[in-house]
Amino acid sequence: MTHSFILLALILTPLLGVIALQFIPKDNYTLGKNVGVLFSGIPFLFSIYIIFDYFQDGGLTGYSITKKWITFGNLSESPGHTQTLYKVGFDLGLNGFSLLLVFLTALLCMLSAYASIKQVNYAWRLYFSLFLILETAMLGVFSAQDIFLFFLFFEVTLITMFILVGKWGYEERAKAAYRFLVYNALGSLIMFSVFVYIFVNTGTSNIGTLTELIALNGRLAPEGMGFSDETRSVLFLLLLLAFAVKFPIVPFHTWLINVHAQALPAIVMLHAGILIKMGAYGLIIFGLGFFPDQAQNYSFLIAILGLVNLIYGAMLAMIEDEIKKVLAYSTVSHMGIVLLGIAALNEFGIQGAMFQVISHGLIAAIMFYLVGKLYERSETTVLRQLGGVAKDMPILSGFLLAGGMASLGLPGMSGFISEAMAFVGLFEKEPVITVIAVLGIIIAAVYVLRAVLAITFGKGDIMKERKWKDLSFTEALPAIILLSAILFIGILPNVFAETLRPAIELILKGIGG
Amino acid sequence: MSSIPASSFLLLAIILFCIGLYGALTKRNTVVVLISIELMLNAANINLVTFSKYGLTPNLTGHIFSLFVMAVAAAEAAVALAILIALYRNKPTILIDEMDDLKH
Amino acid sequence: MIHSAWLIPVLPLLSFLIVILFLRNKPKLGSLVANCFSLITFILATLVLVGRLQGDSLLREWNWLEVGSTTITLGFEINALNSLMLFIVSFVSFLVNVYSLEYMEGDDRKSIFFAYLGLFTFAMLALVISPNLLQTYIFWELVGLGSFLLIGFYFYKDSARAAAKKAFIMTRIGDVGLLIGILLLFTQVGSFEYDEIFAAVRNGELIGSVITASAILIFIGAVGKSGQFPLHTWLPDAMEGPTPVSALIHAATMVAAGVYLVAATYPLFEVSQIALTTVAVVGCFTAIFAASIGLFQKDIKRVLAYSTVSQLGFMMLALGTSGYVAGVFHLTTHAFFKALLFLAAGSVIHAVHTQDIEEMGGLNKRMKITSLVFLIGTLAISGFPLFSGFFSKEEILISAWTSGNEIMFFIALFTAFLTSLYMFRVYFLVFTGETSEASSHAKESGSAILVPMLILAVFAVFSGFINTHWFGTYLSDFLLEDAQITVKETHAPTWILYAATIVSLAGIFTSYLLFGKNKTKFGESSFSKSPVYSIVYNKYYIDEIYDAIVVKPTRLFAAGLKFIEWFCVGGIMKTISGCIQFVGWIGSRLQSGKIQTYGTIAVFIFALFILVYGVTNGGLLK
Repeated sequence: MTHSFILLALILTPLLGVIALQFIPKDNYTLGKNVGVLFSGIPFLFSIYIIFDYFQDGGLTGYSITKKWITFGNLSESPGHTQTLYKVGFDLGLNGFSLLLVFLTALLCMLSAYASIKQVNYAWRLYFSLFLILETAMLGVFSAQDIFLFFLFFEVTLITMFILVGKWGYEERAKAAYRFLVYNALGSLIMFSVFVYIFVNTGTSNIGTLTELIALNGRLAPEGMGFSDETRSVLFLLLLLAFAVKFPIVPFHTWLINVHAQALPAIVMLHAGILIKMGAYGLIIFGLGFFPDQAQNYSFLIAILGLVNLIYGAMLAMIEDEIKKVLAYSTVSHMGIVLLGIAALNEFGIQGAMFQVISHGLIAAIMFYLVGKLYERSETTVLRQLGGVAKDMPILSGFLLAGGMASLGLPGMSGFISEAMAFVGLFEKEPVITVIAVLGIIIAAVYVLRAVLAITFGKGDIMKERKWKDLSFTEALPAIILLSAILFIGILPNVFAETLRPAIELILKGIGG
Repeated sequence: MSSIPASSFLLLAIILFCIGLYGALTKRNTVVVLISIELMLNAANINLVTFSKYGLTPNLTGHIFSLFVMAVAAAEAAVALAILIALYRNKPTILIDEMDDLKH
Repeated sequence: MIHSAWLIPVLPLLSFLIVILFLRNKPKLGSLVANCFSLITFILATLVLVGRLQGDSLLREWNWLEVGSTTITLGFEINALNSLMLFIVSFVSFLVNVYSLEYMEGDDRKSIFFAYLGLFTFAMLALVISPNLLQTYIFWELVGLGSFLLIGFYFYKDSARAAAKKAFIMTRIGDVGLLIGILLLFTQVGSFEYDEIFAAVRNGELIGSVITASAILIFIGAVGKSGQFPLHTWLPDAMEGPTPVSALIHAATMVAAGVYLVAATYPLFEVSQIALTTVAVVGCFTAIFAASIGLFQKDIKRVLAYSTVSQLGFMMLALGTSGYVAGVFHLTTHAFFKALLFLAAGSVIHAVHTQDIEEMGGLNKRMKITSLVFLIGTLAISGFPLFSGFFSKEEILISAWTSGNEIMFFIALFTAFLTSLYMFRVYFLVFTGETSEASSHAKESGSAILVPMLILAVFAVFSGFINTHWFGTYLSDFLLEDAQITVKETHAPTWILYAATIVSLAGIFTSYLLFGKNKTKFGESSFSKSPVYSIVYNKYYIDEIYDAIVVKPTRLFAAGLKFIEWFCVGGIMKTISGCIQFVGWIGSRLQSGKIQTYGTIAVFIFALFILVYGVTNGGLLK
């Protein structure tokens, strides 16, 4: 009971913040931002509590809520009529993977709220209200145990994000917001139709039940029951398509580039850090969880998609001359590794994919945090106009370099672990694709160094105009936290690996590996 | 009294309704449109009263209902005219086809 | 003592952390702290080497990551090769630390410099005690990071930025080969451990092609780090870093890591003749190729850089011709005399503020000690009899000869001649003759610079005696004791010794005639107009060729993708948004805002319904 209350509190406390914000006078921004940051940080405390509790007892079963929500059907006993019962539950729960994602969400929300203080210049109440609703929704997405609840939270993130991108940010933000909305709404539409189809044919929407029902029916059920192979293939491909938008898989990625380039850096921290991870989360939980056989059949396709993402993103990141776009394409490239890991369908691969999901969340967050701080000073993010930043701002440059190193997969940092595991996993299965993918990490080095060194190294004519202030300690704090997390995963990956193991075993049980 | 068949009442109601509909759809003056709507409501009232008297089980429900409709119609007209006056202050026109501000 | 060997890499890491976190703005204290740590590290490493000499071996591992049923471990291993490398690295690192106390004086980022040195030393020491391939790879990349940071130390110079970037990327190309090799071995053996991989090789669990492929892939990694052809171009550019860094990283330790890697995985190479031949051919070609470029360079550090590349080629040649001991032996002696040469060059640059040897001259009057140690280093690298290089180079020549490959032997012999030629060119141009204008204000450096050089000079002279046929082959016995390789008894003809001596002396003599007596300066002579000179002086245009065949096409490809992005992907996007806009347009046309229009449409459609209902007699609704 207390455990489930904590989970509920974790998800809902930001909403209290929304209410609190409405009572703050309009001209008292100081109080407003403090309340916003405070409430965005509370879930982080809860998530830390859950993690510690998890490592002490080793169980997450307590953290679940099962409430009847909507029940309908036809139970009449008239002859010639089969009884039906449809149940939609308000089910929340955690497994190792979602626990880590909840933790990541809570952490990044706190830091992002902190980072946005200086970036929001108008309509702060609306901003923080939406921000907190978004936080609740993201936490909800990762803890929902019911497909419709998942979908509900998923849609809430979409709408709040749409406004957050469209109202605050750079010049073309409205266009970016519309692209974001259109692409993702189409993806959601496909996802929703798949969910409805599954729901209508099984009568339940609980994720755990469905995983057992659909995944195992394929092998265990007698003839004629469950979905036919063709249906399952179609459903799997539709899910892949739906999450491809969120992922994003080339060629559905243009909205991502626009959002990265046009939204506030603080929002992009959240967006690159968490929102696109919902695509990976969905693909792993629903794609692999519900349709393991199909995932196996289409693993080559997924591997190819991953490879294309990896190379395509890296190549374009190499020639873009605006740091935010470079980072956007690097996100595309990094998500390719998630796909490669998923395609491997073994412990190494899936663990690599999950690690990459978390690791890239941290890396993207630190990079965009720093870019935000840089922009606050330089008011430009075009590489050609920057340079020599290391002279006046050694700390910012150091963090930028460290983030870049993590991004290009330097050992000792989180990116390396995930890449290495994904590659090890995939090599058994698709050696040729793996070899090409490994070559991709050369390009990663090229684009990361090109961008980071263009900013930090060099003579820096722009620097001569005025003296720039380096990061103060309070400004550096988020970067310190993120970098510590990146290093922690890189140096002691087993802590995370142990958390993830049950979730991976569950998925692999479906695959039968 | 009963020499007048029910169909005559219904015919009257139809004629009234059609006039009201025509007026509501074609007149540009908002006041006329409102009057036309009143016509349609009254057409409905006639129907109600007719069926109340000539229906399968004649009773007073229809009469009472028509009283309600009149009351509501009066309130509606009052609200509509109030809105119209408020609009007229902002935009000196009573032509209904110029009141498309929600579109733009 | 040997049980706390894990402390050896940890200490420099601590030094890095302490200095970068707390002493960033305190150059004096920071450099002192770094030096203390460095000294303790060196003492510990020496104790470990002594312990190993007494016969202790150690392998200890901890679980690092569990994936499914596989457990990946990290740990440390002390065997003969490791302990020797520990000693060399910590020794040179300590001396370079001391040297930098004076060399980096006045730089306001002095503390950072020492921190980076600590980071690099940590990675390098951890690399050499790694007991498995994954750990090796981890630190392999980290030494690359250290090297990158130090090359780019003068970050405000555009050339330093380019050099740092190039070094990182070029070595990463090699690293990718290594990574693929590791992946291949892991899928075949199921473990990253050296011991298990070697056991699998011994027991014939691996088919020949896998061994060959993985050995060559590992060698690609070594090619990248050790600056072998065709990935050598970064090493000369890396001279943009401060000179002590060049001495430590780009002469003595990191670039030798490639040789170390091949030596550490020697059991793999040993069973594959193709892999061995590849190593030998690449090494041999690199040796003569780099030597020929070194002959014409004007920048003193670049000459030394090319000589490093060339000497590393020698080591590879030795390893490729089954000369395991010869390769490691040359690695050891080379670490001492090349570090010495770089430090001496640094001392010269410190004094004259130019790196162009043709602008220097007559420094032996002004910088007596520097001149002396430089001469010692030059003699050692030229293989002058009884200096350290003499013994190790002879070993390599013997191993080349006994492998039966005469062509390579003669190439190596000719390269030895070139080596003494171009090294003495530097010596004669810089130190002898008339005092040039640049040299006229030179002053001898202080003791912090001189003492490390003198210590290294001692080693450069005498380190050869650890492995001679006259006094005893101590190194060979020590290394082969626990190396899991088979040793072929070889009989070296004694004439090789004489040939090596003659070649070395001939090189020195030619050099004296050309540069000592006549002061030939290529830049001013008519020879500089000839195409041969310009080809070699421009390093055979390798950089330009890479630019043309790799960089430009990649950029073109990326630009092509950009076009696809803009045209196809953007096209898809426009189609989608176009459709949506079209739907919206229709909707917006219908929604004129005129209520009467809506009403009319509603009425007519209602009427239509009624009509249809009437005509079909309600059929549509049944």
